[in-house]
Amino acid sequence: MAATVQKIPAEERLFSLVLALLATDGGLTKGEILSTVQGYRQRHKIGGDNATLERQFERDKDDLRELGIPLETIASPGDPGNNQNLRYLIPRGSYELPADIRFTPEETTLLGLAALVWREGSLSADARRALLKLRSLGIAATEPVLGYAPRLSLRDAAFTPLNAALEKHVLVGFEYLKPGESAARARLVAPLALFQHQGRWHLFAEEPDSKLTKTFLLRRIVSAVTITSTTFPAPPPGQGERAIAELDAVWNANLATVEVEAGSDAAARLLTRRGSILTASGALDLHYADANILADELAGFGPEVVVISPPALRDAVIARLKRASADHG
Amino acid sequence: MAEPQAPKLAGDKVAFLLSLVPYLMDRDRVTVAEAAAHFGVPQERLREAVRLISVSGIPGETATYQHGDLFDIAWDDFEEHDEIVLTHNVAIDESPRFSGREAAALIAGLNYLAALPEHSDSAAGSTLMSKLARGASASPTQLAVEVSQTNATLALIRESVAAGVQLEFDYLNARGGRETRRVDPLRIDAVDADWYLRGWCHSREAKRTFRLDHISNATATTDAITRRADDVSLSDRLFEASSNDLVVTIDVASAAMSLLTEYEPERVAALASEPGEPGSRVRVMIRVSHYHGLKRLVTSMNGAVTVVSPALARQTVKDWADAAVSRYS
Repeated sequence: MAATVQKIPAEERLFSLVLALLATDGGLTKGEILSTVQGYRQRHKIGGDNATLERQFERDKDDLRELGIPLETIASPGDPGNNQNLRYLIPRGSYELPADIRFTPEETTLLGLAALVWREGSLSADARRALLKLRSLGIAATEPVLGYAPRLSLRDAAFTPLNAALEKHVLVGFEYLKPGESAARARLVAPLALFQHQGRWHLFAEEPDSKLTKTFLLRRIVSAVTITSTTFPAPPPGQGERAIAELDAVWNANLATVEVEAGSDAAARLLTRRGSILTASGALDLHYADANILADELAGFGPEVVVISPPALRDAVIARLKRASADHG
Repeated sequence: MAEPQAPKLAGDKVAFLLSLVPYLMDRDRVTVAEAAAHFGVPQERLREAVRLISVSGIPGETATYQHGDLFDIAWDDFEEHDEIVLTHNVAIDESPRFSGREAAALIAGLNYLAALPEHSDSAAGSTLMSKLARGASASPTQLAVEVSQTNATLALIRESVAAGVQLEFDYLNARGGRETRRVDPLRIDAVDADWYLRGWCHSREAKRTFRLDHISNATATTDAITRRADDVSLSDRLFEASSNDLVVTIDVASAAMSLLTEYEPERVAALASEPGEPGSRVRVMIRVSHYHGLKRLVTSMNGAVTVVSPALARQTVKDWADAAVSRYS
């Protein structure tokens, strides 16, 4: 008998599970699911050991939640502590896109482009699924988004685990190398937002003990990120915008004055930058958020740029240039 | 278009099935070709999905998947005319909501693109973002991206791409020289905060990538372009390999390797870490079109990259750094 059991593909089992849990009003117990739903029932042994199948069900629940499908449980009123009597269901109102949320062809075009931005890295799967759901509504884009190929790079290895921790609201641990310090230090923080500022990814996080918020540059995370199981309350929305505003305030307060060779590569890049001001004397005032990053960048311009102030930035650029010279002598 | 790619995971296939059903419900009759084109999938994948849907359903009152508990399609139309007519549906009424991560990816992508000429109506943009947030099954994960800065040149280039006319502009090249170029504008690329024009350069008779902030005095001509984006394959790599490329061997701090992805580094050897330097280093070969870009890259990396060979490349970096240092004495 066992030899004739046909193999049900995973997508068929998952699809059948969603249909069954959407169709039920009062929920289904695990026992009912395993014994009746397509893909499980073929492997279910009545009165036997179904431990493997139960583990399969646990993984499937995770997979569905990963897709954003709201799978909920209801405890049995008479027997709240008993997991066997938990009832599972997908509430229609939490699953279905509300009827008043529809998109015009122009909006569909823009959303297609917004999804395309993530084609590199771990958000590409999310963006691709979002597009499928958008197309489900049947609206054709006004035109194919040819002509544009913008993208956000996600080269920092820390991004993927941090994004997962952000969604689960759990503490994360990593080693962080601050510029000017010789060794990395271990950090344990509550991730509040991931944000890109001036082309670089940052983590906005809160230290659990001091409750102070800190901003970390992903590029300076020098270890793998550890995702803990310690949860914290979900922060109110807008943390990323708050973090950008805070870093912008720092950026606004920091001013460097440099001389730039007219017509050079440095002039082309720096003069067009947000907040750059050409002063009457021909020098250029630049805002910056991080002196070390600006020093790296200015050193790259070589003789096209001379830093006038602040002195610490000037020294940092000279040190980089001298090191480059010594390394290649 | 580069998206969407073949879904590899069962979860992605389920997302496709759950998106396809409402689309089919809204259409009385649709050809396989039209539906496949709408979702951007191969026709055979669409047929497979329809076959799976047609045998799926809910356990039903008898818990045995009776005929009325299953989806059904008009089989003759499907098998003989390659047309899909859904004749019975179960469990699903509407398109699924976006997941928190999916909504976050689209919202952040829209924000990044907010400076595009197409995106000029900011009220419409924020309506769109709030629709996405309301249409998600969980609060969007806290992901934020700054609005990418653009300038008037972008609008002009965009119009030229759409109109299919040649552009003429002054270009500041990496050697520091300025020259007039005539180009068939094919695509506008962006990577994080930097914008680029991809095109066919008539002056060079080759595909070229131009930084937008190095373009000045751009004018649209009335001459039609001679090559289309389809004629010249444009990859995601901004600077494509050429047989004239110079091969350079460099030592790189392992932590900085991700910053060199664009140069497609080829690993030669792992190196012992230097005394007093945190982290390991690797020896890799990269390809560059000239040493002018290389010297800028190396001096901007604060010691993370050292050129090993050829000697001329080392000398070019040293001369660049020395010229800069001398400006401070």
